Amino acid sequence: MPVSDIQIFLVLPVVVLPLISFLFIFAGKKLNTENLALFHISVSFLLSLYLFSAIWDKQTFHIQWSWFSVGGTEFKAGILLNNLSVLMMVLVSGIATLVHVYSRVYMKGDPNIHKYWAYLGLFCFSMLSLVISDSLLLIYLFWELVGFSSYLLIGFWYTRDSAARASKKAFIMNRIGDLGFLTGIMIIYQQFHTLDLTLLFAENGFMQTSFIQNAMWVSDTSGMPEIWLTIAGAVFFLGAMAKSAQFPLHTWLPDAMEGPTSVSSLIHAATMVAAGVFLIARIYPVFNPQVLNMMVITGTITAFMAATIALTQNDIKRILAYSTISQLGFMIMALGIGAYSESIFHLSTHAFFKCLLFLAAGAVIHEMHHHRDKLGLDFDFQDIRRMGGLRKRMPLACISMCIASAALIGLPLTSGFLSKDAMLIKTFEWASEQVGILKIVPYLMLLSSALTAFYISRLIFKVFFAKPDVISSPVISAAKDAPKQMTYVLLILAFLSTFLPFSLNPLSYEVSWLWSGFRSVESTQAGFYHQLIPVIVNAISMLLIILAYLMYVNGKYSRLASGEGLLFRVSSGEWYLNQFYSFTFVKSVEKLAELSWRIDRYVIDSIVLSTAAVVRNISDFSRWTDKNIVDGAVNGSGAMVSKAGSIFRMLQSGRLQHYLLSILLILLTFLILTFFI
Amino acid sequence: MIPLSHFLFISACLFCIGLYAVLTKRNAIQVLIGIEFMINAAVLNFVAFGRFDANGGGGQMFALFAIVLAAAGVAVALAIILNVYKHFKTIDPVKTDTLKD
Amino acid sequence: MLSLLIFLPIAAAILILILPSRFEKVFKHICLGVSIIQFLLSLFIYLNFNSGTSAAGISNAGQYQLTEKLPWIRLDLGSIGKLEIDYFLGIDGLSMPFLLLSALVMFVATIASWEIKTNLRAYYPLFLLLNTAVIGVFCALDFFLFYIFYELMLLPLYFLIGMWGGVRREYAAIKFFLYTLFGSVFMLLVIIGLYFSVTDPTSGNHTFNMILMMDPANYLDGSIFSAIANQELFGISARLLAFIVLFVAFAIKVPIVPLHTWLPDAHVEAPTPVSIILAGLLLKVGGYGILRICYSIFPDAAIQSSWWIGLIGMVSILYGALNALAQTDLKRMIAYSSVSHMGFVLLGIASATTEGVSGAMYQMISHGALSAMLFFLVGMIYNRVHDREISSFRGLSELMPQFSAFVMIAFFASLGLPGFSAFIAEAFSLIGAFTSVYLPEWMAIGGSVGILLSAAYFLWTLQRMFFGQIRLKGGEEWKTTLYDANIREKIALLPLAALALLLGIFPSLLFDKMNASVLAFVQLITG
Repeated sequence: MPVSDIQIFLVLPVVVLPLISFLFIFAGKKLNTENLALFHISVSFLLSLYLFSAIWDKQTFHIQWSWFSVGGTEFKAGILLNNLSVLMMVLVSGIATLVHVYSRVYMKGDPNIHKYWAYLGLFCFSMLSLVISDSLLLIYLFWELVGFSSYLLIGFWYTRDSAARASKKAFIMNRIGDLGFLTGIMIIYQQFHTLDLTLLFAENGFMQTSFIQNAMWVSDTSGMPEIWLTIAGAVFFLGAMAKSAQFPLHTWLPDAMEGPTSVSSLIHAATMVAAGVFLIARIYPVFNPQVLNMMVITGTITAFMAATIALTQNDIKRILAYSTISQLGFMIMALGIGAYSESIFHLSTHAFFKCLLFLAAGAVIHEMHHHRDKLGLDFDFQDIRRMGGLRKRMPLACISMCIASAALIGLPLTSGFLSKDAMLIKTFEWASEQVGILKIVPYLMLLSSALTAFYISRLIFKVFFAKPDVISSPVISAAKDAPKQMTYVLLILAFLSTFLPFSLNPLSYEVSWLWSGFRSVESTQAGFYHQLIPVIVNAISMLLIILAYLMYVNGKYSRLASGEGLLFRVSSGEWYLNQFYSFTFVKSVEKLAELSWRIDRYVIDSIVLSTAAVVRNISDFSRWTDKNIVDGAVNGSGAMVSKAGSIFRMLQSGRLQHYLLSILLILLTFLILTFFI
Repeated sequence: MIPLSHFLFISACLFCIGLYAVLTKRNAIQVLIGIEFMINAAVLNFVAFGRFDANGGGGQMFALFAIVLAAAGVAVALAIILNVYKHFKTIDPVKTDTLKD
Repeated sequence: MLSLLIFLPIAAAILILILPSRFEKVFKHICLGVSIIQFLLSLFIYLNFNSGTSAAGISNAGQYQLTEKLPWIRLDLGSIGKLEIDYFLGIDGLSMPFLLLSALVMFVATIASWEIKTNLRAYYPLFLLLNTAVIGVFCALDFFLFYIFYELMLLPLYFLIGMWGGVRREYAAIKFFLYTLFGSVFMLLVIIGLYFSVTDPTSGNHTFNMILMMDPANYLDGSIFSAIANQELFGISARLLAFIVLFVAFAIKVPIVPLHTWLPDAHVEAPTPVSIILAGLLLKVGGYGILRICYSIFPDAAIQSSWWIGLIGMVSILYGALNALAQTDLKRMIAYSSVSHMGFVLLGIASATTEGVSGAMYQMISHGALSAMLFFLVGMIYNRVHDREISSFRGLSELMPQFSAFVMIAFFASLGLPGFSAFIAEAFSLIGAFTSVYLPEWMAIGGSVGILLSAAYFLWTLQRMFFGQIRLKGGEEWKTTLYDANIREKIALLPLAALALLLGIFPSLLFDKMNASVLAFVQLITG
């Protein structure tokens, strides 16, 4: 069924409905917003599903309106629906719907609950708009709005200092990426004078028809030195790095776990952090081989680093956060080697199982927190060392979490098996054509994958299988499975983490509809990697899972897990990157600010003030001359008059006889003058 | 016949004595006496000129008129002096110098 | 129409002076009435504004709208010729948006004036006089008239700061005075020089008409500012020198680094309504002057100095932002953020591209609304507890939720969150600077770092003052004095927030009205 112009009315509600949820914030607490928010997002989800069925593998849909024009250039706003956008739409609205359902219970009783729904609405609005936008400017706009709503939600419990700090950190680090994005927009605009995605990146779009000649990057309208093509790719990638928490801009994501767990699962695991991957996928033609190699290296480092850090963390959400970073590294790396469809495939499967991991963890945290407060104990309710033995208490949470972990590890019959192995196979194929240092990429990825198996098993065993901690055992024994609504969500997601929704054959990703939806050319290299890789990966994983079981459930090899040794400390200190940043960048910016304030105070101001002093001295001098010279003359004449006055005044003695005498004298003088002269 | 110049000389002497008294005496009564001297000098002049006036006694008449006026004036003046005394407790014209201000 | 807009406040001022003092309570209502009428008038002007290319204005007198031209001073000076000064008003796409902004900011400033309690009979007439002068500056097309309005602004401002200001108002006043004196004295010299260089082609007299000054054909042969004669003064081209002098005069208003230090002091000492006007309008007079006068009359010199102006813009952005980061006084921080944001205006103008100039114009309007909002918010808190130190407050959003919501809107709008006007403005200033052939690319990229820094100082302030547990310097006592925003304050804040949001979502509201003028302007300066 083709989407005609009339059906635009089906696309707009998808994004507008969540916005309405946001606008309810102005109604305050009076309205029962939770039902409305759920209604909006589920309608949005149903419409997305419909659009998905109409568009997927059938057509692309593009509609534009004039937004505004600057000078002679018109900027358009529009909707672009293709396979990628409808997939993301379904993913975002679907997971958002589940998280809405989950949050109804999870967030119950929070005094600011109406704000929670509003912020969630804002996030869904901006994320959905982001995926359907058809121009770079619009994407940038929603890109920042997504960051903003994430800021609001991380800082949802704003009375906690740590939450306030974390939200600020997240926004500012994302801003670094935004700068890259903005710079990229500037370069593209200068080169092509448009920011329209279809014009730029479609078949035979401006990007494809531009070429490199004599070290110049030439397009129809203008040309720039060749280096700018690389810079454009690099800065766009910088934007993606910040949003998708790639090394070295990843440190905001673990801190972002200060937000409610439901938020972490939606925003910081499933959807928003995937926006970076989405962006790269959308503007893929921009990237030249240098930038792609940059992606490979960054992705590999990220995946490896995050996996090593996750090994030793004790906060359940922090482990999952690092796991997310690591998986995002996989996706970025896959995009770098050109495994476009594999990367998107992994993005989709990851969205479900990581969301499930968080939500299940949320259920555990919820119970721990609830009973801890009830029993009046004091310990960190997110610390996995305080958990243990929850398998019997919370069986459903345990099962769903185990399924999600299996998917994360990439065990057979799960969705992760399909997507992760697809990426690894591609990596090996790609590496066989490379030379030099890039050859080690697949082995590092293999190692990261193995580490993944270990850290997630550690988590599972510590939380669900190990013996309960002494301090928290009363809490553990009081815990029970989450309320129905939450559990249903977990089970649905558990189903979505298996191979069934994605592929009929549990062992081959090549029959997956999702993967083939993005495949550009028929893969011909059905080489021996296809059989070998999954076997190797699973063998290593199984070994490590067993090791983890022995270590954390049976308490063997305790020396390894004791927390000594340099490597352990580097890992649990998160590679000391936070300290490094605060020591170098934060401190230096603060110092710089201090310095410029001093310059302002003491240099510029003192110049102004010394000018003022000079002017003042001049005016003092002129005041002196005024007083002593100009005024002197005036006052002198005044004084003379008054002197004369006082002399004449003496004549007026008040004595009659004197008066008479003077009359006589005057008369005589007069007579003498009249008659004798 | 005594020539006119003798009268005038006497009269001038009288006037000067009166003037001297007016200007120098430290007693208002004496000043008043001085004034009387001066008026009488004038009266003497009137009478003397009247003697030499061909048509009628205009001089005599003015003299009488002036004597009457002088008497009235003395009465007023004495009254003023009494009041001055009441006010200043003195009739020394040097000390009654409030005209100054 | 324009005269009505300009002289309405004067009439009201006279009315206030005449009224006996028992009517003191209604002075503010008179003032408010005036600003509402002005707002409606300017809205009417906006709606009926012709935005076609045939009404672009700039260097074409016939294309100005709502022109009023009356011979004003015609003095026969014998051998020098006849003095020709016109009462010449008119608007085009560069000045029209400012009328609307002025009316709005004046409205808000009037509402903020409620807090003024002393000497109302002096306050309101001065306030209205300032209103007249500001609108006059934006409408005047005769340089002499412009100068009169320009100087007329200073008089009430000086008294408003000096009489109703803070503790160190004298210090602030002398600083302010020195800076402005420095600017305007030399400006007068240039005006006279221009007067003797330019003749009116119809009457043959020397003229102060700005539009005639923009046409090189009107310059006398061999006159000092003639482009053809290319005279030199002190070893540099006279036109370049004149451009620099005028630029410095206006740039002090903008302000640019390093001529900015009057601004934080003036703001800190000024009462809230004056701060609002200062940031909302007077800074824009600087930017407007650069566009209308410096660039339009001396385009050749402007292009020649593009690199330096762009550099100044970039330095202002970064330097202002860094300084804002170091402040402990909320109002001073916002004052420095103004320096930073106005840097984008210079960067956009220096680019001499349609994108950049549009962005600069947009930034001026946007910053006008947002800085008015920010200063109003600071005024609210200062009014309640007479303290502005950031460290004296913590956890305010718990105590004053609505106030905090407005602060968040203002902060996020100012740091360039998409959906608000500043985003469009800054994005286009930067895009313009990047694509400009006169500026190197690193200037735009350097400028964009300012966006990052602005996020840093605003969010840091937000975190320190509004989040966390409540902890106030004044303890329990402050908890009662720090009441939430009241109706009057909300009435003042809402239109500003609405404007910022509206312009952020529908940029065409403004761009459509000024596109023709901006195109003509860029055409004029790039030739």
